[in-house]
Amino acid sequence: MSEPILGGVVHTDADRSEPLLRAGNTNCGGCGMSIALNMISRAVAERRVQIVIPACCGIVTAGPFPASAYGAPVVASTFAAAAAVATGLARVTHANNEDIRVLCFAGDGGTYDIGLAAVSAAAERNEDILFLCYDNEIYGNTGGQRSSATPFGATTTTTPTGKHVAKKDILGIMAAHRIPYAASVSMAHPEDMMRKLQRALDVRGFRFLHILSPCPTGWKSEPSEGVQLVRWAVQSGIYPVLEVVDGSLWTVNVEPDFSEDALESFLGHQGRFAGMTVTVAEVRRSVLRSWDALRARCGPPTAPAESNGVGAD
Amino acid sequence: MNLEIRLHGRGGQGGVTCAKILAALYVTLGKSVQTFGDYAGERSGAPVRAYTRVDDRPITNRNKVYRPDHLLVLDPTLLGDETVSGLAPGGLLLINTPDPPEAFRHRFGRFRIATIDATSIARKQGIGTRSVVIVNTTIAGAYARVVGLPREALDRAYASIHLERDLPAARAAFDAVSVGDSPAGQPAEAAVPPPDQSVYVLPLTRHAASAPTGLKTGAWRTQVPQYVEHLAPCNAWCPAGNDVVGFLQTLLHEGEEAAARVLSETQPLASVCGRVCPAPCMEGCSRRQYDGTVNIRELERWVGDHATVSRRAERAPGRVRRIAVVGSGPAGLAASYEIARHGHEATIFEAEQALGGVLRTGIPAYRLPRDVLEREIDGILDLGVEARCGVVLDAPGVASLSRKYDAVILATGLASLTALEVPGASLEGIEQGIRFLHDVNLADRPSLHGHVVVIGGGNTAIDCARSARRRGAERVTIAYRRTEQEMPAIREEIEEAQHEGVEFQLLRQPVAFHGNGRVAAVELAEVTLGDPDETGRRRPIVSERTSRLACDHVLLAAGQSADRRLLRLGDTIAEGRIHRHGSAPNLFVAGDFATGEGTVAHAIGDGRRAAGRALAALGEPATIFVRPNRAEAVPISGIHFDRFPLRPAAVGDRLPAAERVRSFAETNRGLPDAREAERCFSCGHCTQCDTCLVYCPEGIIDRTATGYAVDLNFCKGCGICVAECPRDAMEMTTS
Amino acid sequence: MTMHMISANHATAAAAALAARANRSGRGFCSGVYPITPQTECIERLCAEQIPKGSVVRVESEHSAMAVCMGGALSGARTFTASSSNGLAYMAENVFAAGFYRLPIVMMAVNRTLGPPWNIWVDHGDTLMLRDSGWIQFYCEDNQEVHDTTLLAFRLAEDEEVLLPVMVCQDAFVLSHTMTMTDIPDQEAVDRFLPELRLPHRLTDTPRVVGGLDFPHQTEVHRKQHLDAMGRVPGVYARIQDEFERCFGRRPPDPVVPYRMEDADLVLVSMGTTASTVRTAVDEARARGVKAGALRLRMFRPLPERAIREHLAGRKRVAILDRDSCPGLGGIVWGELRGLAAPGAVVQNYLIGLGGGDIRPEHVRGVLDDLASRDESGEPHFMEAGA
Repeated sequence: MSEPILGGVVHTDADRSEPLLRAGNTNCGGCGMSIALNMISRAVAERRVQIVIPACCGIVTAGPFPASAYGAPVVASTFAAAAAVATGLARVTHANNEDIRVLCFAGDGGTYDIGLAAVSAAAERNEDILFLCYDNEIYGNTGGQRSSATPFGATTTTTPTGKHVAKKDILGIMAAHRIPYAASVSMAHPEDMMRKLQRALDVRGFRFLHILSPCPTGWKSEPSEGVQLVRWAVQSGIYPVLEVVDGSLWTVNVEPDFSEDALESFLGHQGRFAGMTVTVAEVRRSVLRSWDALRARCGPPTAPAESNGVGAD
Repeated sequence: MNLEIRLHGRGGQGGVTCAKILAALYVTLGKSVQTFGDYAGERSGAPVRAYTRVDDRPITNRNKVYRPDHLLVLDPTLLGDETVSGLAPGGLLLINTPDPPEAFRHRFGRFRIATIDATSIARKQGIGTRSVVIVNTTIAGAYARVVGLPREALDRAYASIHLERDLPAARAAFDAVSVGDSPAGQPAEAAVPPPDQSVYVLPLTRHAASAPTGLKTGAWRTQVPQYVEHLAPCNAWCPAGNDVVGFLQTLLHEGEEAAARVLSETQPLASVCGRVCPAPCMEGCSRRQYDGTVNIRELERWVGDHATVSRRAERAPGRVRRIAVVGSGPAGLAASYEIARHGHEATIFEAEQALGGVLRTGIPAYRLPRDVLEREIDGILDLGVEARCGVVLDAPGVASLSRKYDAVILATGLASLTALEVPGASLEGIEQGIRFLHDVNLADRPSLHGHVVVIGGGNTAIDCARSARRRGAERVTIAYRRTEQEMPAIREEIEEAQHEGVEFQLLRQPVAFHGNGRVAAVELAEVTLGDPDETGRRRPIVSERTSRLACDHVLLAAGQSADRRLLRLGDTIAEGRIHRHGSAPNLFVAGDFATGEGTVAHAIGDGRRAAGRALAALGEPATIFVRPNRAEAVPISGIHFDRFPLRPAAVGDRLPAAERVRSFAETNRGLPDAREAERCFSCGHCTQCDTCLVYCPEGIIDRTATGYAVDLNFCKGCGICVAECPRDAMEMTTS
Repeated sequence: MTMHMISANHATAAAAALAARANRSGRGFCSGVYPITPQTECIERLCAEQIPKGSVVRVESEHSAMAVCMGGALSGARTFTASSSNGLAYMAENVFAAGFYRLPIVMMAVNRTLGPPWNIWVDHGDTLMLRDSGWIQFYCEDNQEVHDTTLLAFRLAEDEEVLLPVMVCQDAFVLSHTMTMTDIPDQEAVDRFLPELRLPHRLTDTPRVVGGLDFPHQTEVHRKQHLDAMGRVPGVYARIQDEFERCFGRRPPDPVVPYRMEDADLVLVSMGTTASTVRTAVDEARARGVKAGALRLRMFRPLPERAIREHLAGRKRVAILDRDSCPGLGGIVWGELRGLAAPGAVVQNYLIGLGGGDIRPEHVRGVLDDLASRDESGEPHFMEAGA
C-alpha cells in the first residue's frame, strides 16, 4: 500500500475544513453511508456544494430541527424528488453564475425505485448534478424491506424466504442515458474511489456514482466488517467496480479474482444470506454470467493493476 | 394488579422486544397487557424507550409511562436522574451491569435495586454482534426472577412469542440476578409535572444559521478502540532481542543513523549479523506467507555498514562494577557491550591473539570480511571495554578472576568438537572442520587438492565446503544425514555453495572411513527419516545400504559442544549462573557455552542476558533480557495482505560463482539501497498509514504528535478502525 | 398596457413571464412544467417566453414539476408552475411539501374533474382536495382576474409576513381556453409592482438542513406559525389590492365579492365562473321581486371567515353551490361555510355542474326556488346540469 493512503490529505489543510458529515450524527455504528460521506467530503474539499437528500437514513442522521449533522447546506426533499429539487437548485445557481456543485445523496430506494423517474429525467436533460447513490440494498430507514437493489437470495422483512429475483443494474441504466460520467465505487479501494469522486465533481452535466454501502443493521453483519464485505464483494465479482464515460466507454477499474473464498466470505459474514435457498455455486455462476455481459461492453480484462487493494505504490 | 414498566435501552439492544417479553410473562398469569415502544429515528446505539402496562382489567391508558413501578435499564451508561424520573420510591430498578446492587445504593438507594450482567450472558450466547449485543431476551429472564415469577412462566412466555432460542440466556439470567435490600420507607415523590414545552422553536422562515446536533454518540459505545503495539513476529523470532520492526521502520522514515540507534539498544554487531545471522526473524516475517520474507538480514547489514551501530551507543555515567568476560565471540562481545553501556567496566580475556572468537576463527572472510568485524569490535572497545588477548585460562585461572572481579562471565563458545566414532576416523586427511576453518582464517593454511568430503549440514559444513573450494579442492561434496530441508545452514549459503559447484549427498551418514594410512574413501550409509525428534526435525534411521565415495580429505562438521574444563567437577548451570555446592559464586555463563544454540544471534541475546544477570546479582539496575514469546506475536490473520501490492524481495548483488571460488573476497556485495525496508508490513506497529482515519465512519480520529487519538465523545465503537488496520496495531476493548 | 384577445391559459403565462422577468435583478426565475389538459397551453406559452436568468424545465411528471420549483425557490428564484386534476393529485405530496417549506411558489391550477373515468371538464374537486396543503387559494371568474391574480399572487406569496405558496384556480375551458380581451401590463409597471424576491431562508453556503426532522413539539410550533402566516394574509392582501390599483389602475376583487346583497333574503354562494351565471339568475329573480343576492368566494384559503359572517349576518336562507363532491358529506364549500351563516338560517347545499355540467341560469333559478321553499336545510341537493 502507498502510505499514508489518499496521500495523507485526510484531516489536513488540504481536506475540507468542515466535514460534510459531522460527528454527533445518528447513523448506526459502522454505517457504510457515513464512510461514503467522509470520502465525499475529502473529494469535495473546499468546493461549494449544496446537497439534496431525499427521505432516507441519510436525512434522519442529520438530527432534529434546527440542528444539522451536515457541514454543508442540505435540502431534505420528498422521497422521489431529489433529482428534480436538485435541478431547481442547479438551474438557479447557474443562472446566478455561482460555482456551486449540486449533489444528490440518495439511497437505493430514492434511486432505483421511487426516485428513478426523476433521476432518469434529470439524466436525460443532462442537468448539472452529481447524483450519488449509497446503495445498502435495502429500505434501511423503515427497518429493512427489500428494494430493487436487494441482491438475489437476501432475506429482508418483506422477503422472509429470500429475494428470488436479481438486483437491478443501475449503472447500466444510467449509462444508457449516455451521461458524461457514471461509475461504481468501492470504499475498500479508497484511491480509486477518491479519483472517481474528484472526476465526478469536476465534470459538468449529469454524473452518477454508485456506492455499495454496507448496512450492519440490515445486512445482519458485524459493524466492524463493512469495508471488508465490500472488499469481498469486489473480489468475488458481485460488485463490479467500473466507470462509463459518455455511456459508451466502459472500463473495469478493479479486476475481481472471482474466488470462491471471497464469495463465500461475502455471503457467510452476513445474516441476511443465512437462510438462502440458492447455493453459493449458483450465485457464482450468475456472477460470472453478468461478467460475460460486462466484458462484452468493456473488452477483455486488463492487467490486474489494482487487484491487490488500495492502489499501487 | 396495575403495573407500569418502562425500559431504557439503545437501538439494537431490543428494548421493544424486551417490553413484549415482559408483557408475555404477565399474559401467562392471565393479565391484561399493553406494550409499545417510542418510535423515532432510532439507530443502532441511540437511546430508546419501551413500555409495558399490566392490569387486571382492560387497559385504556394510551399515554407513555411517566410514573413506572418497574424500571429496566438495558445499558448502564443510560442510568441517570432523567432515566429514573417518575419511578416511585421503593420501585424496582433492574440494571444490566456487572456491578452488584450495592454499587448503586448511594445514588439510587430509594429504589429496590437488582442487577444482572446480561451483556456478558448474551455475548456468551452469541446474541447480536460484537459491538451491539442484544440483551433483551436475557434481562427479561432476570426480571422474571426479581418480580417472583416462576421459572415455568419464562418457558411459557418465550415459547408463546417464539423466542425459545434465547431461553438458555434468560434462564442463566434468572439464576444469576442479584437483588439488593428493599429501601426503608421513604416519603412519596411529588407528582411529575408535565414536561416543559416552552422551549423556543425557530420559525422555518428564519432558519439560517448552522447548528451542530450536540449529540454525544460516544455514549452508544460498548467497546472502545485503542492503539496498541503488538509483538511483531520478526521481533518475537529474533534471539538477540532486536527491535527488528523498529529498526526497519526507522530506517524507512528516518534513515540509517536513526536505525542504527534503534539497533544499538540491543546489540553492537549489525554488520556482522547482517552477514552471518541465519535470521530467524525472516523465518517469522509475515511477508514470508505472502510474496517472500523481507530481506531483514541485508537491511541490518545496510544499517551497520552505513552507520556503525556500536558507536551509536552511549555509556551511562556513574556506577562502576568490574566484570571479566572470558571469550570474545559474539556472546562475550555482546556481554561486554551491555556492561559498558550500563557504565561499568568490562575486561575481555581472549585466548587468541585477536578478538572475535568464532566470528574470526570460524567464519570465512568471503562471508564476513575482517575489516567489517574489526570496525564493529573497535566500536565496542571505544565504549571503554578493555581486552586482553592471548590469555588462555583454565579452571584455576577462572577462580582467580572471580576473586579479582566483581563477576566473571564465561563465554568461550563451543570449544569441544564432536568426533565421529566410526572405524577409520583417525586416518590421516580427516580433520575437524572448525580447525580447518581456524587455519584458513588465521594461519593462511596451504592449499587442498582433490576431492574433499564435508560431513555435516550446518553453517560450519557449508563454510568448510566453500573454503575448501577456495583453497584449491577440485571437488567438494557435503554428506548430510537429513534432507536439504532440515539443514541448519543459512538457506542462501546452501544455494551459493551449490552455485560454486559443491555437491550434496543427502540422507547419507558416514559409517566408516577407508584408506591405507590416509583416507581414500568414506563409506556412506543410506538414511531414512523417522518421526520428528525433540527439535522437530525427523529422526534419521541409518539403513544397511552403503556406498563408498572416494575422497582425498574429510572435514568433520558434525557438531560442537561446550568445553567444560573451565568449570569444576560438580558445578551446575542454572539460570545462566554457575552453582557450586548449594551456593552461587559470581560466575555467569553466556552464549553457546551456556546454551549451545549455535547462532550469532542467540549468542548476542544470551550475552546481553548474562550481563544483565551479573549486574542484577550485583545489585545494579539492569534488565535481564527475556526472549519474547513467539505465541504472542501478531498472527498472520492480523495482517491484511490484500492491502499490499505484490513486490518481490530485494537481494544483495552476488559476485559471479566463477569469480567467487578464486578468492576470499566477500561474495555478497549487499543491497543497492534500503528500499527493501518499504516491504516491511510493520506488523503490530502503527505506521500512521491513515487507514483508521480514512475509514472511521464518524470522522473523529485525529492525528497527534505521536500517532492518532479517537474522540471518545463521539466514537460509537463500531470497530471498523480496528478491523481495517492493515497491521494489527489496534484492538477493541470492552472496558 | 395593451389589450389582447387571449385565453386565460395564455393570460396566466403572460403574467408568469412578466413576474419572472421582474426578478431578473434578483435571483431569476425557475419553473418546472408538465403538460396536462386543459393547462397545456399555459406552459407551452411559457416555454416560448424569453426570460433572462430564467429556466423553464420540462420535467417528466407533476411531482417533479413542483420539485423543480421547490429547488428553484430554495435557491432564491421566483417560481411558477401550472397543473390540473390528476396532475395535481400526482403532485400532491410536493404541493404539501412546498407549503411546509414555506416557499412562495405560484401555481396556476385549471380546475378539472378528477378521474377515472376520464373527464377533462370543469370541477373544483381537484384543488379543493389540496385545501389543507398550506397554500393560499384563489378561484377566479374571468380572464382578466386570472391574469391579475397571478401577478398579485407573487407579491402576496413573497411578502415576508406571508411566505406561503399561492394557487390561482380557473375553470377548465370556461376560462382556460376561452379568449377574451385582456389587459396585459407592460414590464415596467410590473417591475414597479413586484420587487425582487428575497427569501429569508433560501439556501446559502451555511450548513443547515432545510426540511429535515421535527420532534412533536417543534411540529406543533411550526404548524402554529403556518396558521399565523395564513392569518396575516387578509391584511397583506388588502394592502396589495391598493398597490395593484396604484400600479395598474384597477382594483383586484375582495376575498368575498358580494352582489345585490343589500336587502337579500336569499343568498347564493358560489366560486369561479358559476358566479357569473348566479348573477344573471339574481338579476332575473330581482326582476321578479325576489330578494336574491350572491356571494362569490374568491379566496378559499385562508377562508375569509369574518367577511363571510358579516355578509351572511341576518340572512334567512343561504344556498351553497358546490362544483365538487365530498362523498360522505356533500359539498366541500358547504361543509366549510355552513357554520358561518346566521343562527337559525337555512344553509342548503347544492351540488351542481360536476364533471363540467354546464350550469345555466335556469338551473340557478331552480336553486332559488328550492331555497325559497325551505324552512330548514336538508340533505345536500344533487342537481344534474348536463352538457
